[in-house]
Amino acid sequence: MKTFKFTESVKMSLRSIASNKIRSFLTALGVMIGVAAVIALVALGNGSQKSVEASLQSLGYNLLIVYSGQPKGPSLVRKNTTNIAPSLTDEDLNFLSNLPKNMVLHAAPESSVSAQIKFGNTNTGGTVVGTNLEYPSIRNFHPVYGAFFTEEELNSRKPVAVIGAQVYKDLFNEGFDPVGQKIRINGIAFTVKGIMEEKGSSMTDAQIFIPITTFQKYISGSDKYALINIQAANMDTMRDLQKFIEGELLHLHRLPGMDSADFYIANQLDLLNTMEGVTSTFTLLLASIAAISLLVGGIGIMNIMLVAVTERTREIGIRMALGAKSKDILSQFLTEAIILSVGGGLIGIIIGVLTSYGASRFGGMASVISVQSVFVAFGFAVVTGLFFGGYPAYQASKLDPIEALRYE
Amino acid sequence: MIKIENLSRYYKMGPTTVKAIDGINLSIEGGEFVSIIGPSGSGKSTLMNIVGCLDSPTTGTYSLAGEQTAALNKDQLAEIRNRHIGFVFQSFNLLPRESAVENVELPLIYAGVPPKDRRQRALEILKRVDLEGREYHLPNELSGGQRQRVAIARALAVRPKILLADEPTGALDTKTGAQIMELFRELQAEGVTLIMVTHDRDVAAQGKRIVEIRDGQILVDVPVQEWKR
Ligand SMILES: Nc1ncnc2c1ncn2[C@@H]1O[C@H](COP(=O)(O)OP(=O)(O)O)[C@@H](O)[C@H]1O
Ligand SMILES: [Mg+2]
Repeated sequence: MKTFKFTESVKMSLRSIASNKIRSFLTALGVMIGVAAVIALVALGNGSQKSVEASLQSLGYNLLIVYSGQPKGPSLVRKNTTNIAPSLTDEDLNFLSNLPKNMVLHAAPESSVSAQIKFGNTNTGGTVVGTNLEYPSIRNFHPVYGAFFTEEELNSRKPVAVIGAQVYKDLFNEGFDPVGQKIRINGIAFTVKGIMEEKGSSMTDAQIFIPITTFQKYISGSDKYALINIQAANMDTMRDLQKFIEGELLHLHRLPGMDSADFYIANQLDLLNTMEGVTSTFTLLLASIAAISLLVGGIGIMNIMLVAVTERTREIGIRMALGAKSKDILSQFLTEAIILSVGGGLIGIIIGVLTSYGASRFGGMASVISVQSVFVAFGFAVVTGLFFGGYPAYQASKLDPIEALRYE
Repeated sequence: MIKIENLSRYYKMGPTTVKAIDGINLSIEGGEFVSIIGPSGSGKSTLMNIVGCLDSPTTGTYSLAGEQTAALNKDQLAEIRNRHIGFVFQSFNLLPRESAVENVELPLIYAGVPPKDRRQRALEILKRVDLEGREYHLPNELSGGQRQRVAIARALAVRPKILLADEPTGALDTKTGAQIMELFRELQAEGVTLIMVTHDRDVAAQGKRIVEIRDGQILVDVPVQEWKR
């Protein structure tokens, strides 16, 4: 006794899919969108997590930042400090720099402004950052080529600059040695001293570092600092140190309390915790949206397959009358559902990958496709087909031939 | 071959019960050619469905080739329908989206005949019912008589021992009807058992034995020679 072969089910299913193209497409569409959504959204979630991680790491270690302005609570990597009047003084910096080494390792002032940078006829935009020699150690951010500016250059307000990797790429041909070249920042000539390492964050790599004294002389015209970076000696006591510094600075600024303070301190630990919480919630949220759309896709399959079974009751009756067994009908409808969901899943993978690629390429969003999400989404699509196609297929296989034949 | 004893088939329609078949006894030997005749609603199709293993009796027994059909499960019945019985439905029951040859191939698919043999056999049978040149037409591109012949070809595809035909000449003109009857006589000569339902007394007279049904009961059961029209 020969049995009904799998290839026969596949052939039959393909024929029935082809004979109702629009319905087949709509059935597969749900799965397509679901799979594409899972891949693209997880990629975006991953991407934002990676970029936040990268920028947090690029901050350095055990970092406290004293900002000018009203206290606001922990904020993202860098505030837009250009709009806020700098309120931190030399006195503040001296106090912080002279704290014992078992409390504070380094302190670096920082003031910045967006500027137009020119080399010959080539133009680019960037953030000019004035700081001191401690900065590279605090931010764990060093020159890869040439050198940072020196103590002597800082003291004598020299117009020298260390340029970010992106600035180098924008202004010079690859391989060109920029050290000693003159660039113009807002029209003022600066001598290039070196190139900073690439951090991969567009914000970080588009900076130009100059001595803070030079910044005050040529650019801001003020002797105040927008912020002061502090590297704590010990991570475990960072919060105590923060409290201590708050108290001392309030005293120096002759202010009664943090309510009326003209500065506030952000703590890297708080930033880290907040950001990690936010990004993992974000990824989870995206993943659940995607999972829901996959579920909806599955229900779509079931809905359309159920309609198909009803619509094709007579066909099922005819097949049964001619000798189709329950399992033949079951396998025909199940195969159809699986072909549609697998096909939809494959197209969904392509759409999802292209979407995540496009989002990072043209939309400026960070996206990291996770191979895992591709497999999970595809597996889900197949299971969806089996599960949501299974019920209608079972219904079809249980029909009574004579009843099915009578169906109008 | 076919042994029906005290068989009834009732349909419950709300409070009333329709006795479509009401206590029938009927034996048919292999190779017979039986015409079943009777007015509309007398239970002819119901009887054919039971003989064709599509439906089962309410009471009574039906044994086919010595086997009680009540003892067989759904899959075994499907196999009997597939291998041993060719059924020509009153309403053809062709798949509308499949061509004539594909419709004829259907029972062969479930019989596990490989695709190449299947196609060849289907084409041969279509030729035999005079449908050469119409093999790849869809049912709605064929006339009533042509569809009837596709249905007959499909019933013959597995070379069944029993051919059941419910009003096979109903949709045909006299000439094509005569051709079909000629085909049936050939099949009988080949040893196929034929049971044909008709309400046309001339067509019925082509059979060798006449069974007349009224209100679900057998009124007359005689050889055609003794049948008074
Ligand atoms: N599925 C059904 N449900 C209820 N009554 C039915 C059903 N099938 C047939 N009948 C009834 O059974 C009787 C016999 O029907 P049928 O066998 O189709 O008659 P025939 O084929 O001789 O015209 C009729 O009265 C018909 O109404
Ligand atoms: Mg009838």
